Amino acid sequence: MYRTVGIFLSIFLCTTLLRSPSRAEEPVRVFACEPEWAALVSEVGGEKVKVFSATTARQNPHYVRARPSMLAKIRKAELLVCSGASLEVGWLPILLRRGSADIQRNKLGHLMAADFVETIEKPDRLDRSLGDMHAEGNPHVHLNPFNILLVAEEIHKRLGLIDVGGKAFYQQRYNQFESRWREAIPVWEKKAETIRAKVVIPHHKNMSYMFEWLGLESTLALEDKPGIPPRMSHLKQLITTFGDNKPHLIVRTPYEPSKPSQWLSDKISVPEKVLPYTIGGDVHSEDLFSLYDRMIDLLVN
Amino acid sequence: MNMLIRIVFAALLVVPIGGISRADSGDAASAIRAEIEAIRSSYESRILELESRIAKIEEGETSTNGSTVLANTTTQRKVFGRDFNPSIGVVLNGRFARFTEDTGEIPGFGIGHEGERGREGVGISHSELNFSANVDDKFFGSLTAALVREDGEDKVELEEAYIQTLPGLGLFEGLTVKAGRALWTLGYLNEHHVHTDDFADRPLPYRVFLNGIFNDDGVEVSYLLPTDFYSEIGGGVFRGDDFPFGGSDGEGIDAWSLFARVGGDIGENQNWRLGGSLLSGKAYGGRNTEEGAQSFVGDTDLYVADLRYTWAPTGNPKTSELILQGEYFWRDEKGTYADSEEGTGAVAFDDTLEGWYAQAVYKFKPQWRLGLRYGQLDQPDVPLGLVGSSFDSQGFEPSTFSAMLDWTNSEFSRMRIQFNRENLASGYSDDQFIFQYIMSFGAHGAHKY
Repeated sequence: MYRTVGIFLSIFLCTTLLRSPSRAEEPVRVFACEPEWAALVSEVGGEKVKVFSATTARQNPHYVRARPSMLAKIRKAELLVCSGASLEVGWLPILLRRGSADIQRNKLGHLMAADFVETIEKPDRLDRSLGDMHAEGNPHVHLNPFNILLVAEEIHKRLGLIDVGGKAFYQQRYNQFESRWREAIPVWEKKAETIRAKVVIPHHKNMSYMFEWLGLESTLALEDKPGIPPRMSHLKQLITTFGDNKPHLIVRTPYEPSKPSQWLSDKISVPEKVLPYTIGGDVHSEDLFSLYDRMIDLLVN
Repeated sequence: MNMLIRIVFAALLVVPIGGISRADSGDAASAIRAEIEAIRSSYESRILELESRIAKIEEGETSTNGSTVLANTTTQRKVFGRDFNPSIGVVLNGRFARFTEDTGEIPGFGIGHEGERGREGVGISHSELNFSANVDDKFFGSLTAALVREDGEDKVELEEAYIQTLPGLGLFEGLTVKAGRALWTLGYLNEHHVHTDDFADRPLPYRVFLNGIFNDDGVEVSYLLPTDFYSEIGGGVFRGDDFPFGGSDGEGIDAWSLFARVGGDIGENQNWRLGGSLLSGKAYGGRNTEEGAQSFVGDTDLYVADLRYTWAPTGNPKTSELILQGEYFWRDEKGTYADSEEGTGAVAFDDTLEGWYAQAVYKFKPQWRLGLRYGQLDQPDVPLGLVGSSFDSQGFEPSTFSAMLDWTNSEFSRMRIQFNRENLASGYSDDQFIFQYIMSFGAHGAHKY
């Protein structure tokens, strides 16, 4: 009996004592679910942030497993930046339950990119016989440059509130980033004019935001149903669907298997390419600028 | 909001009145016009005032300084997701099994019902219904009911019904308390629901030492240490009713546990987790098996060491992955065993017993996995009084070998064939063939690490 009381008492003491949130010159600890958000936080936060990216460009962000190492990082995070829209639903919820109080839902440290942009491809109907549908729409929001601006704006506000002393610093870095980014957008758009209205087939619909922005057409994918690997019957169907109106390109991310796109590429003599998709997707894609440069280069040439 | 409705309403009124008034003439018309003008100017000023308030909010000039609230940040778009409250998940699990031997008993070990090999033939096994949600900002709750067929009857087993503190409660950072009934932290597999297992049945030591799972009623505290790699320590106190304990009268705490785990990544492709646990308690009311024919009364200490290692090229388990997993059990018991059918009476017992399993699962294609598993128990010493009873293993060391192949269509469906060769008693070799399906619908589950 006394032992039980003792245990509860010690829990209670732990709750009331030993809580001292004070920010010295330490960098803000950021847990980014994907490399694109890690890169964006670094653009805004510079040396005043310490960013951990839970996944790499070679990992499918929907299918990674919660790893013990992620727990160690999320426990101490002050800002969480993820895509949201159920992209991380298979692993983030269980990490979040053990994460720091600052990054819980509705807290300043909880930032889901999809909550701040207009998502596309929202399903009319939720039925898993149509694949793994996300009611919130397509979660791969980082490939529209205007979405990057919206999220960057939010990141700089959040950083400024988490680390009040650095507010002016984040504001300045954000302004610099914003003007550079706004200058880059028309250059990319101009470059991609030549491929406007052309048809692109991705493995999975994870680059739709870029295609929509650049005016490319992309209604079909190698995956017949999202989340279910391409089936031969569907690939054959694609050949007949296109007939003589050959698509411009078959594309996939570095984390998707090569076989289906190579097979279709051989059959219809359309080039297939691996687009970097996110930071680190190839040697050229070191930051958001070079990622966009590279994506568009590969799409155009 | 209310104000806005009033403005809109007024505007709607003003428009048609304006239309009618044009048809009129004289004093009446001008009086109405004046009235309209008055309404209009009054509302225009109000609209202006509201607009300036909106602007102020947007500029972040709210009364609070936005220390913990989101007042200063852009208004979030309302996202209506699949993230319903509560999330409801259903797991359907069915199988077909063929065994070459008539019985699946393991003489000498006094195993419980869940430790046996399951039913032969076509049948459903372990259908699960799960409800879970954040109760509020401070608590998470989860309830899992398993519908099972036992002794010719469909039964509901309450597998889990627990609450867990969320970081919002403001406990010391990294500390979590879980209370109720849960798959408690013990070894690797105990925390995991059976449907997420890599094989159609639990490994031999789980069947013998824990009767499948340990989910007593109790409270568990765990603390995630502030280290750069993963490390967690904790412990729990339990009622002492679930196997390997039993018959608790609820006075005091009859069982408790301690655990420590560490883990981390090795480069991008590999990660590992190592853990040690101790589960200790008394079965003063008796751990009864075989419909009460066998019983153990006394103290049990169970030590478990677990290791799990995964390797996936570029850390992308979606395409290809190798999982190695093993657990070692060491049980120390002191008490009395009795077999009422053989009329042994209470025979004093003070000895230890070991068991272990190791398994490898390899995903060789995105939808296909192959697994091998070996499990073994050491032979327990048999006191003189138990010779010839159901607790007499006759010096045999039981072992099981399993091979499985499974196909995963989506995150929500999996089918599996498995072959087991179980050598559980001397002169006995049971070849088992199992076909199994596991399907889930409802909430998108998140699996434990």
